[in-house]
Amino acid sequence: MIFYQTTHDKTDSNIDLAGFNQTFLCFGRSKIQVRTNLGLLSLLFPSLSSRPYLSLLRLAKPFPLICKRSMASDGAEDHRLRRIASSIRVIPDFPKPGILFQDITTLLLDPEAFRDTIDMFVERYRDKEISVVAGIEARGFIFGPPIALAIGAKFVPMRKPKKLPGEVISEEYSLEYGTDKMEMHVGAVQEGDRALVIDDLIATGGTLAAAMRLLGGFSSTDRVGAEVVECACVIELPELKGRDKLGGRPLFVLVKAV
Amino acid sequence: MGEMAVREEKEQDPRIPRIVSCIRVVPDFPKKGIMFQDITTLLLDPKAFKDTVDLFVERYTGRDICVVAGVEARGLIFGPPIALAIGAKFIPLRKPRKLPGEVISENYILEYGTDCLEMHVGAVQPGERALVVDDLIATGGTLCAAISLLERAGAEVVECACVIELPELKGRERLNGKPLYILMESR
Repeated sequence: MIFYQTTHDKTDSNIDLAGFNQTFLCFGRSKIQVRTNLGLLSLLFPSLSSRPYLSLLRLAKPFPLICKRSMASDGAEDHRLRRIASSIRVIPDFPKPGILFQDITTLLLDPEAFRDTIDMFVERYRDKEISVVAGIEARGFIFGPPIALAIGAKFVPMRKPKKLPGEVISEEYSLEYGTDKMEMHVGAVQEGDRALVIDDLIATGGTLAAAMRLLGGFSSTDRVGAEVVECACVIELPELKGRDKLGGRPLFVLVKAV
Repeated sequence: MGEMAVREEKEQDPRIPRIVSCIRVVPDFPKKGIMFQDITTLLLDPKAFKDTVDLFVERYTGRDICVVAGVEARGLIFGPPIALAIGAKFIPLRKPRKLPGEVISENYILEYGTDCLEMHVGAVQPGERALVVDDLIATGGTLCAAISLLERAGAEVVECACVIELPELKGRERLNGKPLYILMESR
């Protein structure tokens, strides 16, 4: 099978955001990722210029024909999850070559899909007596507050260094090269708080693990902390095994990107 | 131009005092002489946070707003709940190199030096009615850049909405004639 690299046609201002999506095809049991560019394909296989075939490969609102599986198995949830999964845009080689970036900004451009995303988290957590929703800067700030508002919880931003004013506690965590730091306000959580940690995506799990240590009081001298009930993300990259880095705490995701 | 939810001569909305009391002032942050208006304490009061969002939602429901643009990072906290409630798209306006894919950029002036705000190409369609949301307006430089980005993409910016205004910095005069709606002045 031939692999094509998706290219962005920067001169074509009429391409809408959905056009940058990648279509993943699956043949039998083998997962073959074919990243297609419409122009490139029709150049190499002129017979493919016929409409019906092209419409199979590239839909106006690209729908990943397989590989984005979802967490929930309930059939009634499928229509919401399909819309959510198909609204996520994949950008190759961002922020650096070799990385397929899962871009949730296109989900935010679909009010129904965004609404469904929040609803699915709210339905899961509304009866779990969650008193704190912690969102990780910056994309956790987009999903965390609507969930917090709907379930009546506090929202606590977990931030990069020197952004939060006043007294903070910090936790260092590893990056691929080097380390970074995450901060939380002193006094944001109390003993007895039940917390949820939200981010748009879990990759290696380093960021979520740091957030959990801050919330749980492991980074502060008085060890006052909340009980972290669960981590929740829109997307998981399962190959990076981030779920194993969460100290045994459960992880809930809507979509897995393979 | 514009209005706010608190006026001396009018009765203020009964939800406002609680919101005001939730804002924490942190002196000398990020540098000496600045009295930082910290909204994180507002987010720790679920009722006050909900009231804040409700005040904006009540103002913008039924006005055909199809885009809410939120300025990184604290605009990402207030913008999405408003967008969700009024059925609008949410667009994050971000610092350079955060948004993947094709973007347009707008430079703006800071006290010392310049900064830059970016928006995705294709996020907004010409003619769409847009709201710009941030936690606070100071000099108005960031909001001005946000308005420029949206207008360059052909959107009609209906209003800018912030929780807090620092009126002595006269930011509302830098908004290209766009109206500003705020809930409170700085403490």
